[in-house]
Amino acid sequence: MKGRRLQLSGEIRLPEGIEAQDLTLSEGLVFWARLGAATWDDASAELTEAFEKSREASRNEDSIVYIVANDALLGRTGPADAMVAAGLVSAARTAAIEGWKKGWTANVVAFDDGHDPVLVLDRAVSLLEDGVVTGELVHIGPGHLGKALV
Amino acid sequence: MKGTVVVTGAARGIGRVIAETLRDTGPFSVVGVDIAPELALSEGIVPVQVDLTASDGPEAVKAGVEETGLPLLGVVNNAGITRDARLINMTDADFSSVLTVNLGAAFRLAESLSPLIAPGGAIVNIASRAYLGNFGQYNYSMSKGGLVGMTRALAIDLAPDVRVNAIAPGLIASEMSLAIPDEIREKMIAAIPLGRMGEPKEIAQAVWYLLSPQSSYITGHVLVVGGGRSLT
Repeated sequence: MKGRRLQLSGEIRLPEGIEAQDLTLSEGLVFWARLGAATWDDASAELTEAFEKSREASRNEDSIVYIVANDALLGRTGPADAMVAAGLVSAARTAAIEGWKKGWTANVVAFDDGHDPVLVLDRAVSLLEDGVVTGELVHIGPGHLGKALV
Repeated sequence: MKGTVVVTGAARGIGRVIAETLRDTGPFSVVGVDIAPELALSEGIVPVQVDLTASDGPEAVKAGVEETGLPLLGVVNNAGITRDARLINMTDADFSSVLTVNLGAAFRLAESLSPLIAPGGAIVNIASRAYLGNFGQYNYSMSKGGLVGMTRALAIDLAPDVRVNAIAPGLIASEMSLAIPDEIREKMIAAIPLGRMGEPKEIAQAVWYLLSPQSSYITGHVLVVGGGRSLT
């Protein structure tokens, strides 16, 4: 495993291939959005799970990080994936507004295809622990450069 | 070329003004879709009274388009609701109803109608400035952000024949914004550089532009129509 060892005790949902026991984070929610949504039911299920876990995190005053694929955010993997990725970015911005005065943050990490998942998680954990950066969309890789993302 | 445009949420508020503006400005025949019965009040608009979240919703809209006997040139996904609450207090019903109406119905309608749109046609999704984040609107903000994502993906998928864009209205004088307590609304207006709420007609004009050949090289764009509020 590259990079620092991550400590996990908060809520985390990972893609296949990453062993949760290798990871630890102090407190908070990391929600890694699945790719491959094709229907409204797929997208709705994903966004609903993110909402339920985020509501729980907000009740615990825990910070939130959503992880999305940059290709999905740019609309390159179809409308259902794009709805999930962009929906999570907007939700994180609103959560960030609501959490700020309570001392918790909400951010999004968008990664280019091919990056080591542990590196992506490491960045997510950094944002959880940071406590100051909030409402941000942090890119891993250059895939967003020259693209119209707001 | 005269053609048909479908407008959802056409019974009231911004949607009604969009439908009437497109009818009056042309060259469009307008199919107005809404769950509300007062839809029939707009003259010259083919009414389709249907629940777009129901499984047969898109089929009913298709039938309305066929009734016009004209090619389908555009779809305006405008229908939307709010159920505001802080994330910490938001109920499952608050969340799912907003997501289903604002995003699910738009997705299913676009999926169903996009194969019917004639080359040169366009889809316009009415998002909201809230996609940039807004207190008490986790559900609404997510749904409108989702619409922006859908806009990007469909702009890629449907090119080069059909353009897909979104409009993000700011504070517009509609039933939705007039329900905001006066004191809060006045504070919101004070943060708008242009110093006033927008009028529904100003959204309708932007919709007309994005449907018309005047915007023939614009796709995948989010046009914020908000009096500059995102600047302050």
